[in-house]
Amino acid sequence: MRLDVNEVIRGGSGRPNDDGSSGNRSDGTTGANTGDSWTVGGKTLTSRFFLGTGRFPSPAVMLQALQASGAEVITFAVRRVNLDEVADDSILQHLPEERLTYLPNTSGASNADEAVRIARLARAAGLGDWIKVEISADARTLLPDPVETLKATERLVKEGFTVLPYTSDDPILCRYLAEAGASAVMPGGAPIGTGLGILNPYNLGLIAEQLNVPVIVDAGLGSAKDAVQAMELGAAAVLANTPVAKAGDPVAMAEAMALAIRAGRLARLAGRIPELPYASASSAEAGKLFTFAPDAAGLGASS
Amino acid sequence: MSKLDFKLYVITGENYHPGRTLEDVMREALHGGADIVQLRDKTAKEPELLEKARLLRRLTREFGVPFIVNDYPRLALEAEADGVHIGQDDTGFSEVRELLGPDRIIGISTHSLEQALAAEDAGADYIGVGPVFPTGTKPGRKAVTLDYVRQAARHVRIPWVAIGGIHTGNAQEVLNAGATRLCAVSAIVGSDDPASVCRKLKSMIQTSAGADIMLNGTRHRTQAATLKQLVEENGLAGRRIVAEADGSIIPREGWGETMLRSGMTVELVHFVGGG
Repeated sequence: MRLDVNEVIRGGSGRPNDDGSSGNRSDGTTGANTGDSWTVGGKTLTSRFFLGTGRFPSPAVMLQALQASGAEVITFAVRRVNLDEVADDSILQHLPEERLTYLPNTSGASNADEAVRIARLARAAGLGDWIKVEISADARTLLPDPVETLKATERLVKEGFTVLPYTSDDPILCRYLAEAGASAVMPGGAPIGTGLGILNPYNLGLIAEQLNVPVIVDAGLGSAKDAVQAMELGAAAVLANTPVAKAGDPVAMAEAMALAIRAGRLARLAGRIPELPYASASSAEAGKLFTFAPDAAGLGASS
Repeated sequence: MSKLDFKLYVITGENYHPGRTLEDVMREALHGGADIVQLRDKTAKEPELLEKARLLRRLTREFGVPFIVNDYPRLALEAEADGVHIGQDDTGFSEVRELLGPDRIIGISTHSLEQALAAEDAGADYIGVGPVFPTGTKPGRKAVTLDYVRQAARHVRIPWVAIGGIHTGNAQEVLNAGATRLCAVSAIVGSDDPASVCRKLKSMIQTSAGADIMLNGTRHRTQAATLKQLVEENGLAGRRIVAEADGSIIPREGWGETMLRSGMTVELVHFVGGG
């Protein structure tokens, strides 16, 4: 099938999505400007960018970045109300409630019990049943505890949550999470907030290839190039917070990431060339005016 | 027994009752239930002040309640007062303690949690928390509002009394914010019937229920009877928060019938920025 890049951007039917999601190609109901839409947890989304809301310089900048990102899903954390601070520091007061899907996380949990408790508190706020399971096993790396993450995912799925676990980039674990009923699996590229990018592209590629639920690369990205790489590896979407919030200009970076996600997605759909060990000329051999000396390349081409 | 146990603190203010004697007015206040009395007079000369102090000492002994003199530690000793109350700008605490010895009461006015904790550290026997509302007794002093009362309820461990512009019309707000002791000046001594105002305030204090709970990980003394009142007491009414009591989530519509009791663990959570 030929891919019309303009169609993918503006609408119309692109190639079948290769992330396990249904997109809009068969139902024809998602409208003209949702050409590359995809589905997660029963919701059809047009943006492939999930934005975290922490660490922005101000609520105003966060809102502008949210707008620039085009994100339809945002994440936040559950915390105790600060009883000494009378001013409302809740994130929700700043957000336009309609059109956003909320993905509260269970950060601060260090085992499945705590994560389940936080998830229930989050759901009781009445903003939907999506939950990002996030269980850190180590204060220095904040790397997710694989065993507890799987346990919490199983329990929360049984309780009717739409569960999107943040997990280490282990292909087998990710498969277990999908089998446990996770609506998407969110492997980290690198430890949270490090900006190290995708440390194990091989694993991430495998994960994206094998799962029948969307793979959302979450955590550790540093810049737009990492978002491109995630999408080219076959991710359905990218979740980013720190690289946007702590960028010199968070609003500009939000837009850069959004463009990178789209660029990576298009490149993935377009199908990249295979990697070769040696050059492959882009013009025809025939009609060349000159020829290389037999050993000019020093590679023994003629020997 | 701790050397201090009171609910209703009455301070003199003769300018509020022209035509009536200090003795008359304070006797009525004591009849009404004032259980600690302070002589505060910033204008009288020392001999006159000593005379008033001796009068009030006699009167308070009759009712068996402590008698405090505002500043003037030497004069307080001479009049056999139980203690001295000092402001942030008055004679230093350690100097007063040295003069009075270890057994007498020293109270300190505070206008912020920082000052409260400093007074606590210094060894004050009680502190005043205020002015909660704007007051004519201390014109020009900015009211600290109920926020400071809430902070005091959470953090101050020595006896503390809310003061400043409190009267029967707003006392419940102050009690709901966590106060367990009230002080009034003009509302009592400026009234035609100081005894009945005292009785009213005293009964408001006594009927305010109290519980010691763990709130968001901190020990918290509350006057709230229900979870709903606790939320209001903390200024959180109308905010999108989720409440959990002893590990169970309580839906908002159930807050009103969730009774607080000592030993209960309550978590009030909301959403903050995160990835």
